[in-house]
Amino acid sequence: MRQRIGLLGLGFMTPALVMVLVFFLIPVVMTAVFGFTNMGTATGISGGEYLLTPKIVKQLEIRGEFDKQSLTALSSNRYQVTEAGLAKAASDGLKSAYIQGLRDSLLGREYSSKRDFERALKKIKDRPRKVRALKKSAEYFSQSILNRRYLTDHEFKTALAATGVQLSATEFDQVLSASYTGWIWTTDNFTNMFSKPDTWVVAFNTLVYVLLVLAFNIGFGLFLALTTFYLPSGQSAFFRAVWLLPRISPPVLYVLLWKWLTWDTGFISTVLGWFGVPAFNYMLGSVGSAWAVVVLINGFVGASLGMILFSSAIQAIPKSILYASEVDGANRWQQVRYIILPQLRWPILFTTSYTTLSLLTSFEYILLSTEGGPGNTTNVWALEAYFTALNNYAGNLKYGYGAAMALVLVTLGVLVSLLYLRLFKFDELVARPKIEN
Amino acid sequence: MVTKKLALGLKAGAVALAVSVATAALAKDVTISVWAGGSTQADSYRTEAIEIAADILEREAKIQGEELNITVEGKLFNDGWDNFKQAVTLAGESGTAPNIIVTSHADIAPWSQAGLIRPIEDYIDQDAWPVNQVYDNLIEIASYNGQLWGMPQDAESRPFFFWRPHMKAIGYSDADIDALPEKVKNGEYTLYNVIEDAKKIQDKGLVEKGKGFSPRVSNGPDYWQFYQSFGGQLKDTQTGQLIFDKQAMTDMYQFFVDAAEMGVTSKTHLGADWNQWYSEVANGKAATWHGGTWHYKRYTGKEGLDDFFGNIQFTLIPSGNDKGRANTITHPLVYLVSNTGTDDDAAIAAQLIAIASEPRLNSLHAIKSAHLGIGSEQANVDLYANDQWATEATERLLVNANAMPNHTEFGQYWQIMYKGLESAWTGQKSVADAVSGVESELASALGDNIQIR
Repeated sequence: MRQRIGLLGLGFMTPALVMVLVFFLIPVVMTAVFGFTNMGTATGISGGEYLLTPKIVKQLEIRGEFDKQSLTALSSNRYQVTEAGLAKAASDGLKSAYIQGLRDSLLGREYSSKRDFERALKKIKDRPRKVRALKKSAEYFSQSILNRRYLTDHEFKTALAATGVQLSATEFDQVLSASYTGWIWTTDNFTNMFSKPDTWVVAFNTLVYVLLVLAFNIGFGLFLALTTFYLPSGQSAFFRAVWLLPRISPPVLYVLLWKWLTWDTGFISTVLGWFGVPAFNYMLGSVGSAWAVVVLINGFVGASLGMILFSSAIQAIPKSILYASEVDGANRWQQVRYIILPQLRWPILFTTSYTTLSLLTSFEYILLSTEGGPGNTTNVWALEAYFTALNNYAGNLKYGYGAAMALVLVTLGVLVSLLYLRLFKFDELVARPKIEN
Repeated sequence: MVTKKLALGLKAGAVALAVSVATAALAKDVTISVWAGGSTQADSYRTEAIEIAADILEREAKIQGEELNITVEGKLFNDGWDNFKQAVTLAGESGTAPNIIVTSHADIAPWSQAGLIRPIEDYIDQDAWPVNQVYDNLIEIASYNGQLWGMPQDAESRPFFFWRPHMKAIGYSDADIDALPEKVKNGEYTLYNVIEDAKKIQDKGLVEKGKGFSPRVSNGPDYWQFYQSFGGQLKDTQTGQLIFDKQAMTDMYQFFVDAAEMGVTSKTHLGADWNQWYSEVANGKAATWHGGTWHYKRYTGKEGLDDFFGNIQFTLIPSGNDKGRANTITHPLVYLVSNTGTDDDAAIAAQLIAIASEPRLNSLHAIKSAHLGIGSEQANVDLYANDQWATEATERLLVNANAMPNHTEFGQYWQIMYKGLESAWTGQKSVADAVSGVESELASALGDNIQIR
């Protein structure tokens, strides 16, 4: 009997467990994995191939540990018509007349560039009459591995050995690792992140952002809850609905309204213009006003959550206590100070911790409004991670570094949660009521 | 009788079936998708030229007895380069990139390493028309690691602009203004002369405070021009490394800080709204600025500027000091063939690109969008040759233009440079701190790939 209940419970839990796994654990684990790699646009995500390019040969040359002659040999792009190449071409089904033509006129000849070789091929009468086919036929006679992609290290090693270039074992390994196009494991993301002065600027911005918006959210939410509490119910419902609007309007539209409000051709500038104040772009015109706009945009969105929670908590306070206080002669302020606020402790603590965590990772309203500007001054950690990993002008997407930044945020989030749980004595909140023991 | 008719009917049916099977075997249906970044409706020929090319290639195939049906799915992206590159890169990672990508040549290096694109030289004959008349320097810009990866799609350059009436108001004669391009080129009129004149124009009340000099409002190749104006070089051709010239970068940052301190531009200029910027510079609300050759279309079109040549003078970006030179950067877009689809699909895509590069087809794009041509033979196409802007801009700017280097790490260098500029310009950091911040970041992030001078 007991076991059946256990299974039933597990059955009910399964959707939740799957959700946690899919939407929380896997992303976090993936972030952690990505964070320890150098993945980016050039390395790709799905692994790499082996490709020796002139650029890599030059890099090896700069290191100065290589024999000049072998580097020159590596960087040559030589073509030569050999019997082996002809045999391979024949077995792959190239026309025998073409192969005969190659043997007759080009056997043994050497060409130092692909283009020259192709020009020679074009003089053969029975050549393939399609450009692509002709170019493919040239590849049977390549004597170099330059600019050719090899899927595995084994293929690459075989091809490298087949070029006949003399390399020591260490040189061989260096060529191999330099030619790898994919990502590698590394902790550089973290060392770079913490040695970079800009990191601390962004971290400071994030701190400012979280603290200011948090204070605004809680303070304004509380203010709305208290003021609407003392209004007649019809009016209070109206005002609460009005203050819910920022939360329920689509972010793009909501921010567009802010743009109309704050730009130098917008509402504020137009109205102030009637009094002779010069037009000013409040969203991007100065660092101070940009921050004010960022805080207000996010603050008005978040205040509604606090308002609803606090309002319902206030409604839950037994009216008799308030009536009794009025009989004792308490004024409104005294009611708020000595009756309502003490009862709101838990909702305030909950909203504070919840809002802190969501603000740490939120960036969408900043992205839509200032995009971190003017001049990177309102950039926050999550936004920077997004730009780094997924979205920037040069198209230089650094998945690894961005994930490392996100991982810092996840770690911080977990630490802050633990701190809040301890600070607000969560255990006491969820403890069994003593009276029923 | 009935059986005879039936037999005849069966025979006819069999023949018809055989014929239809035969044509089905010959007919080839291919869908080629084209995504063009940074493209408004004015740039519609970036995809439409491929559609025209498809028609020509189908006809050529038919003459050779093949039935080729090409469906071209073109898409113009005008939602910022950041979003376009994000879309292409992520599509490429999931194997769904478009067959043809129209993008910056600077993407060739990282995308070729990632295997996202195929070298176009494997599919087209470089000795044949029309590739053989494309300017050598553009071919070089589309090449990387000794291979030709893409075909130049257009060329452009990024000039400095002056509002003629305002220049006249502070004492320049028409002849002086006409001589300005030459003076700039010879280094006799420098960036500091620009901001002095901008200040004069501002002080006369002709433009508002902060609008004497109105630089580009967001990141772009343009800012490298100012680095070159102060003597900076981008790449060491010997070693293939990128170059960070500390002195040149310091001087360049200092220039924008000086301009902001003089009040000819504002400290928070970066990040301003593009639409507003266009409307200001095209209507005399800014005295001096820099932009791109394609801006001509916007100024004379959407912004309603009737007399471009009567109101605007354009020059190279002036030099900043004796170490630097007057210069301009050309940032050609290229047609790239992605790794999507079979080798045959790629071959068709490459052929379409080659046909779309014919002088007449490319001129449609060049003139419609106010870009510059890619090949020498466009001078013989009426549409191109008789366009004043295209010819003047080619003569004055393109011959003096250089391009940004193709290098896998250049994108990162670019971002770091721009962030440093932002922090100095807005006053978050002193110029020296900004430059040393850039230096340390470059050293740790780029290592061997960069030379710090």
